[in-house]
Amino acid sequence: MFSGSLYSGELSELRKLFEEIKARGYKIIGPRLEDGVIRLGELEGFDEIPYGIGDIQKPGYYRVRANGGRFRSPLDSPKRILYPPELTLFRLTRDWELERPEYEFEATALFGIKPCDLAAIGIMDRVQGELGDEYFLKMREKLLIVVENCVEPSENCFCATMGTGPAASIGFDIAYTRLDDSTILFQPGSDLGVDLLGELTLEPATPDQIETLRKALLKASEKARAGFRLENLPDMLELNLESETYREIAERCLGCANCNMVCPTCFCFDVIDEPELDGSARRIRVWDGCHSYSYAQVAGGHFRKDLWARYRHWVLHKFVYWLRQFGSFGCVGCGRCITWCPAGIDLREVISKVVREVGEG
Amino acid sequence: MSGEKNKVRLAVFKLTSCSGCQQQIIDLGDQLLALLDRIEIAYFLEASSDAKPGPYDVALVEGSVSTPHEEELVKKIRENSRIVVSVGSCATYGGIQALRNWMDFEEVKKAVYEKPELIEALEKSRPVSDFIDVDYAIGGCPANKLQLLSVLKQVLIGRRVYQRGEGLCQECKRKGNVCVVVAKGQPCLGPITREGCGALCPSYGRGCYGCFGPMVDPQPGALARRFEDLGLSREEAALRIRSITSWSEPVRRFLEKYER
Repeated sequence: MFSGSLYSGELSELRKLFEEIKARGYKIIGPRLEDGVIRLGELEGFDEIPYGIGDIQKPGYYRVRANGGRFRSPLDSPKRILYPPELTLFRLTRDWELERPEYEFEATALFGIKPCDLAAIGIMDRVQGELGDEYFLKMREKLLIVVENCVEPSENCFCATMGTGPAASIGFDIAYTRLDDSTILFQPGSDLGVDLLGELTLEPATPDQIETLRKALLKASEKARAGFRLENLPDMLELNLESETYREIAERCLGCANCNMVCPTCFCFDVIDEPELDGSARRIRVWDGCHSYSYAQVAGGHFRKDLWARYRHWVLHKFVYWLRQFGSFGCVGCGRCITWCPAGIDLREVISKVVREVGEG
Repeated sequence: MSGEKNKVRLAVFKLTSCSGCQQQIIDLGDQLLALLDRIEIAYFLEASSDAKPGPYDVALVEGSVSTPHEEELVKKIRENSRIVVSVGSCATYGGIQALRNWMDFEEVKKAVYEKPELIEALEKSRPVSDFIDVDYAIGGCPANKLQLLSVLKQVLIGRRVYQRGEGLCQECKRKGNVCVVVAKGQPCLGPITREGCGALCPSYGRGCYGCFGPMVDPQPGALARRFEDLGLSREEAALRIRSITSWSEPVRRFLEKYER
């Protein structure tokens, strides 16, 4: 499970790591308690990270609890930072001159994001990155990533099924695990990570600690599962395109696209041209989603008029088409679409049911 | 006609309403002044007693049609205007006063007025679009001044007005609000309501009450069931959804089924 080396240190070393990153001039973005939820935001100090505060995530349900436990995927995913909800693409002056914004970003550290969100950034590298999204690419090259492995997934997590967690394996500068309240295990994932960890007082992890970690991750991995398996999943879904399950779900689905918005990989957008009084105009990109009615409305018609077809398209894109487009699944198992669905629809149940129907034939 | 040269002639009319939407126009402040370079306000009684006759390029109509006089007025507005925009949920859906459409008209008159026989009103409070063709419609109680400005700016450059008619949840999530349904168990009409207000109420931690009217392809039935899960009675759920835009077609269709 661990190709790199593991080092152990006190919780104070994690604080030292935070301060070292800050001292090197990074803006730090990480989990913080705000508006009654844990979400990503800029952190001034280490103490803002709500260690010791847990969350309860169930379908359509989110609460924090102050009496301990751990927090999981925060409301915001890195998508909000790397691919903002509203972005001016260019401004056209009155004299038809095109003014493109120049993106300059300061060095930014994502501190304590989860392995599922790290995997989502990996997917964004293949989508936004390869498609040449300038904002994304400029921001991305300034990014330092410190990832926190999960030992207590929520009821909605299914990273183990998607192969993205509970531990991060690639694509980070540093990964750490809070083994318990006082012991942290650190793992470097890049030269920069090695350099940063060199500033801390760490010991090589003992065989006992590694065994404890292994057990904790194994337990987490047993919990963070969906009722379906990835083997042959795309084929199974394509074999049952006409499943009644999609129509049943559409009776509960609100078509509100909250799932699209909170998904760390959903990248669809609408383009709005906004004229100004001075004769100029701005072209703005805004997050959109395949659950939107107007999303599949084109000149001359509409190719997904029914809500069930829009819901089905979302499932099929994530679990079938994405593989062909980008070489991986489009889902990382973070569970946000389940937690933040106002109707409490559980994507895992939908997929399991559609797959089960194939077997029942 | 004493029109100012090369300016778009704007008229603002009020039917049955509270004038709140007209206040939004005045509240544009500096942006309204900037608009005046391109627009001549030809008729706007809330702002000026200098009322000039038509024809008008753009007529903004606030308020629902609820009297025979207003029915005549909207027809004249249509004849006299190149573009008609219904502004706010009264003009666009019939408004909160359309709640009386669900009651006995004579009873309502008796309950409100001492001499109901003097009241000359239509039996129902209805949207402007029930009587005339409306080019563009925006909802809201009141309308959002920035959305209104956006419509005017688009009209000024002569393009067909583009408005996303999608659900408020998208605007709310883009803004970064925490979902009050999920995180607080509060009923919220956001999942069926048209965006455009900037997700005002959820930004202050309370549920949307749907004043912008239904989004495209709304699912009020699914939302009502969710409200019941959250502990609302069937009556309470219906009341929430009925609210300000009860006479809009999707809400009407839903209520007729749900309350049966």
